[in-house]
Amino acid sequence: MLVAGVDVGAATAKTVILGDGRILGHAVNPVGYDIKSAADETSREALRKAGLSPSTKNFDYVVSTGYARESIEFADKTVSEIICHARGVHYLIPSARFIIDMGGQDSKAIEIGEEGNIVDFVMNDKCAAGTGRFLEVMAHILHVASMDAMGPLALGSKEPCPISSTCTVFAETEVVVLRARGKDRKDLIAGVHKAVASRVAVMAANLACRPVAVFTGGVAKNAGVKKYLEEEFKTEFLVPEEPQITGALGAALIAQAQLLRK
Amino acid sequence: MNALARLDSHLKSRLEDLSKAKEHGHKIIGYAAGGFLPEELVLACGAIPLCFIQAGDNAVLRNSAAYVCRWFDPFWRSQVGYLTSGKDPYYNIVDLIVVPITDNHVRAFSNAVGFYTPEMRSFVFGVPHVKDKVALEYYRKGIGRLRKELEDFTGAEITGSRLKQSIELCNRERELFRNISLMRKRRNVNVSGRDFVALHHGSFLADKEIMIDILEQFIKEADDDDPLFSGNAPRILFTGSTLARGDSKVMDILSDNGGIIVMEEFAEGIRPYRNMVQVEGDLIARLAEAYFMDRICPGWFRPGTERLDFLIELAEEYRASGVIWYQLLYRESYKVESYFFPGILRKRAGIPMLVLESEYDAMETGPMKTRIETFMETIRG
Repeated sequence: MLVAGVDVGAATAKTVILGDGRILGHAVNPVGYDIKSAADETSREALRKAGLSPSTKNFDYVVSTGYARESIEFADKTVSEIICHARGVHYLIPSARFIIDMGGQDSKAIEIGEEGNIVDFVMNDKCAAGTGRFLEVMAHILHVASMDAMGPLALGSKEPCPISSTCTVFAETEVVVLRARGKDRKDLIAGVHKAVASRVAVMAANLACRPVAVFTGGVAKNAGVKKYLEEEFKTEFLVPEEPQITGALGAALIAQAQLLRK
Repeated sequence: MNALARLDSHLKSRLEDLSKAKEHGHKIIGYAAGGFLPEELVLACGAIPLCFIQAGDNAVLRNSAAYVCRWFDPFWRSQVGYLTSGKDPYYNIVDLIVVPITDNHVRAFSNAVGFYTPEMRSFVFGVPHVKDKVALEYYRKGIGRLRKELEDFTGAEITGSRLKQSIELCNRERELFRNISLMRKRRNVNVSGRDFVALHHGSFLADKEIMIDILEQFIKEADDDDPLFSGNAPRILFTGSTLARGDSKVMDILSDNGGIIVMEEFAEGIRPYRNMVQVEGDLIARLAEAYFMDRICPGWFRPGTERLDFLIELAEEYRASGVIWYQLLYRESYKVESYFFPGILRKRAGIPMLVLESEYDAMETGPMKTRIETFMETIRG
């Protein structure tokens, strides 16, 4: 029994393959312009990594998720990414009760129950603040190679610069002004990370952040955001070894359950 | 032809019928949505009421940008767009526009009517936000002034007997809507939210007597039909500021995900149908009591707890397993309440609530789908 979960987000496509209940392989690739090709290529790469023939026809069942989930032609079923993240995190960390997922385009806070069921959730509105896109914009104007590379620099700051604007465009202007005033780059980077964490904390204020808390999505690879999230929520956040694939993993688990039900 | 097909057919020829009615000397009175204009007054002077309820098209919002600033509710901006662009033919056929003003968004529309279409006769009256004797008197005087305006405009006197007849006609329509709503309390529901909303939207434009006939037919058909939904489908109380004709995305997504709407509560888009107007004594006073005092307006009048208690009562009465709160961007009174209501609802009724916000924008459908799909999953457990 070979099943797959395909998660196509704003920035990356992720595929996880399960065979007889075990993770056989996974792959993560940038989406680019052609969503369908990205999903197809990522799935074939995951098959190759699993030592299997790289054809999506090999799958017995596929569940797609993410904002482009309906564009995946080889998927048998689509499921919302919030449900998939909850399932994926529950599989990896059964004691998890709270998830912050930060992707390229959106961020989510999810309260989960003992069975991995969703108790409550919240998702950002039409706004890039509190997402990976915000950090990418800031990395560009602060001349740092990537969003991930900003994390260690943020950790080196002793006095993060407060960034008061909650809009990405206005925050960019604010950072440019602070840079012109000669503020230390590390402090500015730390301020940007703190602003992202604060934005997410405000969004999730009405949810109960109970341990064990887990941080997923592409932004979870950034140690600076993790640190400030922990300060905001006053709790430790666990980051799975590969935090980007929890949605695809959840989708694969749902695919497996669907097949067993047949 | 079934009831909904009849309604559809009636609305298709409605503009032609209205043109003919105008040729025969009947005045067409267009009015702003919100449920504060007693149609009885319009009917009692032989005129035809029409409520402006179309919205949901982003292109119309873009039309409005030249006339009203963006930071207004998109429904009311849409009305400005329709008024100034002529894209809603009902705006082109009315002889008088009446605007009961409940808030600044409605006021922006009434200003647009006066400023950008000065050739159009209009009449405005205020609706207070506090329910007490002074406010009731203010509203009563407002509809009293409206009565005089309608009499002057149409040349027909609104006599006691004509007003009583009109109230009885409107009461019959309200009663039928109430009966259909009560059918939705059943475990196996046989009236879909989409059909119920289509009847409401149709009723804002249709001929009153034909509409009553259609509603009677609809009840008979629904009673004879098999249930549309099994007892296990998540039952949703759907509430918010505005459910416009042409804005069905939430209902569509919900239905695709196996949810069933059992009750709608909206300021604009759903006709108030719970309270009957009494037909004894001072009929203007009776209209004021029913339309202002007895109605629990979705617009969060003070005291706000009345509205909260009412929604919780509805959720329990209709055995809702979740509430979907659909607010329009910049309609701040709903936004304010949406922050604390989910906690109260969970505590008192034990059910979850999902807040959705719209600006009639095509890109919002994807995230809305994700939220609704997840919410359904939350309810199912």
